[in-house]
Amino acid sequence: MINDIRVGALIAYCSIKRGNKKTLMFIVFVLSLIFMNLVFLPSMIGGLLGMFTGFMQDYPYGDIVIEPTGDNTYINNADNVLKKVRAVEGVRAATKRLDVGASISHKQKVVGVTITGILPIEEYDISRYPYIISEGDFLSDLSRDEIIIGAMIAGTGFGSEIYDNLGEVRPGAFVDVTYSNGVKRTYKVKGIMEGTFEVVDLNALIHYKEIEDVYGLEGKEATSVVVRVTDQGTEAKIRDKIREVGVNEQIFTWADKSESLIRQAMQSMGAIDIMSKIVSLIVGAALVLIIIYINVLNRKKEIGILKAVGITPRSIVLSYAFLSTFYVSLGIFAGLILYLTLMFYFQANPVVFYETIEISPVIDPVLLIQSIVTMLTLSVIAGILPAWSVSRESILKAIWGR
Amino acid sequence: MIIVKDLKRYYGTGKTEVKALNGVSFEIKKGEFVAIMGASGSGKTTLLRILALLDDATGGMYTIRGLEVSSLPEAERSYYRLTQVGYVFQDYALINEMSAAENVYVLSMMEGRSKKESYSTALEALDKVGLKGKHDRVPDELSGGEKQRVAIARAIAKKPDIMFADEPCANLDTNNSKQVLDVFKELNEKYGQTIIMVTHEPWHVEYVNRVITLEDGIMISDEIRTKS
Repeated sequence: MINDIRVGALIAYCSIKRGNKKTLMFIVFVLSLIFMNLVFLPSMIGGLLGMFTGFMQDYPYGDIVIEPTGDNTYINNADNVLKKVRAVEGVRAATKRLDVGASISHKQKVVGVTITGILPIEEYDISRYPYIISEGDFLSDLSRDEIIIGAMIAGTGFGSEIYDNLGEVRPGAFVDVTYSNGVKRTYKVKGIMEGTFEVVDLNALIHYKEIEDVYGLEGKEATSVVVRVTDQGTEAKIRDKIREVGVNEQIFTWADKSESLIRQAMQSMGAIDIMSKIVSLIVGAALVLIIIYINVLNRKKEIGILKAVGITPRSIVLSYAFLSTFYVSLGIFAGLILYLTLMFYFQANPVVFYETIEISPVIDPVLLIQSIVTMLTLSVIAGILPAWSVSRESILKAIWGR
Repeated sequence: MIIVKDLKRYYGTGKTEVKALNGVSFEIKKGEFVAIMGASGSGKTTLLRILALLDDATGGMYTIRGLEVSSLPEAERSYYRLTQVGYVFQDYALINEMSAAENVYVLSMMEGRSKKESYSTALEALDKVGLKGKHDRVPDELSGGEKQRVAIARAIAKKPDIMFADEPCANLDTNNSKQVLDVFKELNEKYGQTIIMVTHEPWHVEYVNRVITLEDGIMISDEIRTKS
């Protein structure tokens, strides 16, 4: 077997060293495109997925979110939950929120929104709400008659033409809010927030105490408790610790939420991704096979000669396996350079989606390794099959065609 | 050394059956230089290919050094071709992407020798056929006669018991043909190499010491010659 490997390697080496360089370059170029095709789209989808997941972490869910159990509207005794959560090691910050349904009107324009009651000072450590105020200011601890409105509702941001909006409301304007319980109040617009994300820009923020007051709550209720952890990646561990300290509400990590929400939303993208991968693999496999098969057919006589002088069929088959592995390795290498160049370009110049959302592709090492292994496996199979088939032919047929 | 008994090779069946060899028998001793002659279609190339284990006989048997090689399984035939038999093709049959030395030493490597040893054996064989200093050249950089000499070097490098040559001068001019035949002659006379050569050129018999003539698959003469 060692002799077979040595001879196979020698035959492949000579073929590479003295073979047609233009053909080699063409083969490598095509293989690099196949590799690119395998990894580029998943990287873009990964970027999209990562961006949406990041939005979910930065705004509604944090790293961990605690929600009411069963049909309960509120987490009762939210302050007690907060106290327990904050005592858990690894928790950096936590806050409570109250989400309610309402309609906002301004100069005869009315839109339905979700209003989130927040504790403004605590949000600085929890979310990016305080940092996305495009006009005016964020809420303060004393903001009771003030409201922050998402740019899409205000009619000042992208998407305003798609969704109902209040017609270019600016900070300082007054809007009327009618809550789901019928209570109607007037607020001064303190700021416009623009997160380039519908969940944010179609939302409005009011001080938590104001919602409490409107709904006659007693200072202990919340629709969610949002938690941030000190170290990313420890969410699942901390979720379990929160359970252990006696929090009996539903506890989700952002990944849990991503699975149920984002993955649903990304299902069609995922299907495209899988289909694209399968098609790429089939095309790749067929191409590698065709390239090697043509190569083998062109050398059918040589294979016959090698057999005639005593070279074993195993050596011949191995030489083609080496040859195709070499082609594919070069193709992968060239594809990687091409891929990384494009990745760095798109990371510096993200693809603008929906006019405001910038998608930067994600370089996923696992995806790269999977694609490399797949391509190499294909190359070995594609190299071996045609050579094996020809090496089984009789010497006379291989050399003289009869 | 070689005993051939009632060797037959038929192609096709029924009305289309062609009897390329129809019961050929002879013996060849070690150190003989034999020419197999005959008109086109007489069966000489078929006979050579069967003897060199490149083709199968339809009937009869033949032995090389007492071993009945006609019934060997393919793996053993391959090993036999590698270690016991040298074959020189009419059209050189060199690997174009290999240099002269690589074309020769690939076989030594297949036998399990180290690259260094194989390389030195190859250089020695190339020297023997007069190609000293041309070991790095690929077939495209060699003349027809030189290519054929590389093929001979490949055949003799492994020091085979028998060397077969199938019309080795068919593609060469007279000058190159003489050079190739001189190499054969030297190998035979100096090293005692057994050579069986198919040829249809009458003047080639000057180089051999025995001529077997075939006609329509049958041996019609077996003449011992005294070399001039």
